[in-house]
Amino acid sequence: MKEKLEIIRELLANNQEIDASKIHILMLDLFKTQFKGLHVENYIGDYPTFIEPVYLGDKVKLGDDVLLGPNVYIGKNSEIGDYVQLTNSIIFDNVKIGANINLENCIVAKDSSLNFNNPNIKNCIIIGKADSEEDLKKISFSI
Amino acid sequence: MSDKEEREIQRFMELDSNKLTKGKERELAIQIEEDIMNQNEVLADQINQEFKKYNIKSIDIVGAIGAGKTAIIEKILEKLASKYRILVICGDVTTRVDANRIEKHNAESIQINTGRECALNAYHINQIIKNKDLNNYDLIIIENVGNLICPSDFILGTDKRVTIVSITEGEWVIEKHPMLFKMSDVAVINKIDLAEILETDVDKMINDAKKINPNIQVITTSAKTGKNIDKLIEIFGLEN
Ligand SMILES: Nc1nc2c(ncn2[C@@H]2O[C@H](COP(=O)(O)OP(=O)(O)O)[C@@H](O)[C@H]2O)c(=O)[nH]1
Ligand SMILES: [Mg+2]
Repeated sequence: MKEKLEIIRELLANNQEIDASKIHILMLDLFKTQFKGLHVENYIGDYPTFIEPVYLGDKVKLGDDVLLGPNVYIGKNSEIGDYVQLTNSIIFDNVKIGANINLENCIVAKDSSLNFNNPNIKNCIIIGKADSEEDLKKISFSI
Repeated sequence: MSDKEEREIQRFMELDSNKLTKGKERELAIQIEEDIMNQNEVLADQINQEFKKYNIKSIDIVGAIGAGKTAIIEKILEKLASKYRILVICGDVTTRVDANRIEKHNAESIQINTGRECALNAYHINQIIKNKDLNNYDLIIIENVGNLICPSDFILGTDKRVTIVSITEGEWVIEKHPMLFKMSDVAVINKIDLAEILETDVDKMINDAKKINPNIQVITTSAKTGKNIDKLIEIFGLEN
């Protein structure tokens, strides 16, 4: 799993041109073939709802009433706001996600932050910091 | 009213304490409760149709903590895992203990941790089945969170609901928790191997269940000795 995640991480770091469909295929393959069980030993926060498979890196902070899964990976030091729901999504390290945001079939690149609340966001890659949904740098998957 | 306040009200609802709210909040609390219930029923209905479409038999097992829900599922798997393609969904507040137990019996299992919620609901189940290829299963068994109260609020869309109690819970356990028996198809009185030592009035328990729900099928079992597990499988409409 680490290797595949690393490949996605590297593809995301390529600032010139991001191959969204390649990344999407990699993510779906990862979910299908390698995601399994609950790996949630070191998070900080209340008891959230987990529908496995769920992977949490070190020192992930979870707000109140968070629902994660199925198929969720969150990298270390990321912060997830109250009432957030994540499904079929990969969140890399040091990400901040605002309260009550709902992500489905998304990848959030490392160090990104979504400093706003509420929207439902689906089927895309998110990179960088944004203070509103309009600010968000999104690269959609073709579905 | 802010989103946060609304969610707080939802929390009162979950605790079944809308009496804690008053005035306008109380109206909203009641409205939200109705919405949640309706939403759960709509989803449960969809789930049931999906199961039917794929010809999957489905059972929701509820009962108190320690009644023997997982132990009975394990016994059933010993007999059926080679004949049916089975998915077991295990609900617990936290940990993966039950899913790990189930996996030892050659069945696929998925753990749901409900955190602060005291029962599974149709949304949890829907999240799982919409991410699965249902062609791969003949039978889905759901072990609900250990609780004799909350699950009565949330049906899950299964063909059958089964409530398991055990001899060690005392002979009054059924009469004290009528709701679940009203809405169950089968009542299982487990740990029957202990009835003699504990001098439990098992007939009283059986009669209580039938008084509460004349249509309920009642069976005594022991997941320890295997007593009546075959019969239970038959009651579920499954082939041994
Ligand atoms: N004597 C006896 N013990 C049982 C029986 N069924 C379950 N147990 C024990 O009761 C405890 C709780 O069982 P478990 O399956 O975890 O209950 P659950 O919380 O309802 O899933 C375990 O130690 C089981 O071994 C039974 O029929 N007879
Ligand atoms: Mg159990």
